Amino acid sequence: MKKRISLIMCGLLTAGALFGCGSAAQTQTTAVDDSTETSGAEAVSSTDESTEAAEAEEQASAEPTEIKIWHDADEAIMQTIADNVNEALADKQITVSFEKKTGLTDQLKLYGNDAANGPDMYFYAHDSLGTFIEMGILSPIGDMADASVMGDLLPMTVEAGIYGDEQYLMPVYFETLLFLYNKELWNGDVPSSTEDLYKYMSANTDAAAGTYAVVNQHSTAYNVAPFINAFGGYIIDKDGNPGLNVQETKDAIEYNKKFAALQADGDYNTVTTLFNEKKAAAIIGGPWLISGIKDAGIDLGIKSLSDFTLPNGKGLAPYSGVQGIGVLKHAAENKKGAVAEVLRAVAAPEVGIALANNFNCAPANVKAYEDADVASNEMIMAMKTTADTAQPMPNIPQMSVMWDPAEKLLAAVNKSGEDVNTAAEEFEKQAETAIADMQ
Amino acid sequence: MRRSNKMLPWLYSLPALMLVGMIIVFPILYTGYISLTNMNLFHWFDFEIIGLSNYARALLKLDAGFLSALLTTILWTVVNIVLQVLLAYFIALALNAQGLKLSRLYKTLLMFPWAMPAYVSILLWRVGMYNTEFGLLNKLLAAMGLEKVNFLSENVPAFISCLALNLWMALPFMIMMIDGALQSIDKSYYESAQLDGAGFLAKNIYITVPALRGIIAPAVIMTTFTTFKQFDIVYLLTMQKGALSGATLQTIITYAHQNAFVSNNYGLSSAVSIIIFMLIICFSMGTNKGLKEED
Amino acid sequence: MKRTNRRKIKTKLKLAVLNLLLITLCFLGLVPILYALSLSLSGSGGALSAGLTLWPEKVTIENYIKIITEEPFFIWLSNSVILSAATMVVAIGFAVVASYAFSRFRFKGRKGILKLLLVLNAFPQILSMFAIFRLFKTMEMLDSKIGLVIVYAGSMCIFSIWNMKGYFDTIPVEIEEASKIDGAGDFQLLWKIVLPLARPAVIVTAVMVLIFVWNEYLFATTFLLNEKSYTLAGGLYQLQSNDYSRSWPLFSAASIMVSVPILAVFFCIQKYMVSGLTAGGVKG
Repeated sequence: MKKRISLIMCGLLTAGALFGCGSAAQTQTTAVDDSTETSGAEAVSSTDESTEAAEAEEQASAEPTEIKIWHDADEAIMQTIADNVNEALADKQITVSFEKKTGLTDQLKLYGNDAANGPDMYFYAHDSLGTFIEMGILSPIGDMADASVMGDLLPMTVEAGIYGDEQYLMPVYFETLLFLYNKELWNGDVPSSTEDLYKYMSANTDAAAGTYAVVNQHSTAYNVAPFINAFGGYIIDKDGNPGLNVQETKDAIEYNKKFAALQADGDYNTVTTLFNEKKAAAIIGGPWLISGIKDAGIDLGIKSLSDFTLPNGKGLAPYSGVQGIGVLKHAAENKKGAVAEVLRAVAAPEVGIALANNFNCAPANVKAYEDADVASNEMIMAMKTTADTAQPMPNIPQMSVMWDPAEKLLAAVNKSGEDVNTAAEEFEKQAETAIADMQ
Repeated sequence: MRRSNKMLPWLYSLPALMLVGMIIVFPILYTGYISLTNMNLFHWFDFEIIGLSNYARALLKLDAGFLSALLTTILWTVVNIVLQVLLAYFIALALNAQGLKLSRLYKTLLMFPWAMPAYVSILLWRVGMYNTEFGLLNKLLAAMGLEKVNFLSENVPAFISCLALNLWMALPFMIMMIDGALQSIDKSYYESAQLDGAGFLAKNIYITVPALRGIIAPAVIMTTFTTFKQFDIVYLLTMQKGALSGATLQTIITYAHQNAFVSNNYGLSSAVSIIIFMLIICFSMGTNKGLKEED
Repeated sequence: MKRTNRRKIKTKLKLAVLNLLLITLCFLGLVPILYALSLSLSGSGGALSAGLTLWPEKVTIENYIKIITEEPFFIWLSNSVILSAATMVVAIGFAVVASYAFSRFRFKGRKGILKLLLVLNAFPQILSMFAIFRLFKTMEMLDSKIGLVIVYAGSMCIFSIWNMKGYFDTIPVEIEEASKIDGAGDFQLLWKIVLPLARPAVIVTAVMVLIFVWNEYLFATTFLLNEKSYTLAGGLYQLQSNDYSRSWPLFSAASIMVSVPILAVFFCIQKYMVSGLTAGGVKG
């Protein structure tokens, strides 16, 4: 063991010394070459110049128009959307380019009204809609989006994109949490009530040995929302009143606690790794986990969370997150025609089918489900089932400050063993202060 | 030849001072300006000056929660600095022991943690060391037949965990400083002390420590500042969104972050920033005494 | 005779104990890094939950290959190199002249400025982001490497001035006086006499600047608008931020690849490092 380590060390050191001394010496001299090389490479993909050119000739619709869209999602998914949209709009001389920006919310706060550097549109989950709208950087899309297009979309996804009375977001696909299980590890049928699920978990969990029946990010508000919503509680209501100390919310948290005790530490990395390495038979998670699960070679079974009934007879009701496109104000003013075309193209069933078949995204467009492959995709159909009971995450700006107190409450109850009543009062107060601080 | 000239030195330091003015002074002034406005989510572009009311609200935040955060921060800074200096001192002494052939290799190996970007180190520790399922520490406990420990779910263990991580990240710099300082001490002092029959302890107390004090003061002071305003470790280890560990440890910076920054109220958070900056200045007045500048 | 023997044995024993202690210490310090290394070599499945071992069951460099082929690794690397080199030149260039002035001249406000700089350094840099953004937007320096170099150089300027000024103080003025009589100007003095003498301090300060720029990601990902212009740290930050693509083995491999160049530089300049910082502190 020691020998091996020292061998690695020596290897590393020599490699480092050789490579490093060379590179350090060259740093100064090659810097100039490097910069020309990079700018060459940048020029290939850089769209800045053409965007500026397009802006100069904004009115003339015959001229090529470039639409820049920022996102913070998986680049392969965005590429698929871009390819489809570009193909559909090729004869109209409109091209879209997707650019990944980590920390999109913060970036839009800075670049939201910057026509030169910022994007024309953005692709993101619907829950930050209110924040952007109140900042005054978004334009409603009502007069740009075709009524016929909107009519084809799942009502839940359309509703998620409405703020005030206006439509701001063009939904593309949506995500909900699902019950994902490993068919090899799961014994018998998956129960259809949460009580039976708990019994199964108690019988099949051995924390000391590190094997679990079901894992969940039990102290993450998004992952506990299925319980809270189904109990009739809420994190925040439509008017922006936090509901952490509402009796139903507290009951749900207390109920979730007994599950949490059997679900490891609930950290994202922990639970996904447990499931992928076959130490956990099931996980409550979303479609974003699929590629990792596939790589791990797991025989995956899927069940909608709404198929689990609580003792009160209701099915679990997860939040749904609708991913879609919003339009920045300056683009709506300067590139209205092109933006409308992009909105139409992005909501087309073809995009939905491509996303569904390649990435298990549940399309917002109902017509996409007529495709045979989509209709036979177990995961997507499970999400579609959930869509009936799922609640869109609140999109009011106050929600953005609710995650922190809500998760502190969950962590306090699940991890630090605090009493739910006192903790709920404490964090309700914190939430109220946080909301007051926004003004 | 300590020259006096009115214009020349200003001319020489002008480029650097301009840079500092642009990147450090301007932002402070701008923060001061924003703190007087009502810039928030609802007045993002059309904000106006509203006077000192943000400060009144910010001062309201200096409640019991803030006080405990302040105490935690002071405890955090003091414990860190004391441990860092002591540990680095003894490690550096060991590295400089006569006849130690491999000291250069040891020095390089000890510098490793420094080369990693801070957030990488922190995430690495969270998953690789402290995690209940895969963390090496828990695997070690399991191998010894003990129960798993959740290092980050309660305040005291979380404080110690953060401390261990900070020591890991910061010790290389301190070791290097003290190691360098040690080599600058005139060896003849030790020889004459040896003749006088001074032991290990005496040599350290009467020669090494006094000689080091002046040399490492700037480094210690800079490190004190960094430790005081340290944010990443506590935040990423225990309170990253979606990954709260259960501990409710707060330093003044995380407290300010939680109380002013998540709300997108820039006016209020700027006022909080300025107040904290004032606090740091007061704090630095205290430590500044350790820094003697020759004339 | 006997006594010297005994003393020899005693020293040997002492050294053995010291060696043992230091080896343990190095090992303890390296454990997290070895862990990352082993994770990065264990393929995409990841050995997170493997037993108590630092050696992966199956060694593969697929994660490293993935990063080189699937991410614009070399573009990021060259961006990092360009930014660090440029920042080093600007920050050190400006700071050397300034610290020379602070060290060699006596003028009104000198002590005040030095103290003020130290205090200014205490302002948490993260809070400056918004203001610098506004400034750069007016000056049209967003999305440019020059803007970023200015941010980095400004951030490291104070540290550099303090560190080098301390070292300059320790260089006896008498050496310069001789040349002064020969009619050398200030810049000649600085270039021909002070800098060669202070070379260690300059190199060490430069390395500190390098490490700062190399590991900085927040300004890089905010002010640069194209993924292709990111630095290594910025790209790496983006790599792990997404639920879809989060992969620990890949992330560990990337971290190792980001750190190796710094370690290599460190190893190369280690002999300067020691004396440089020592004197940098003298009477600082």
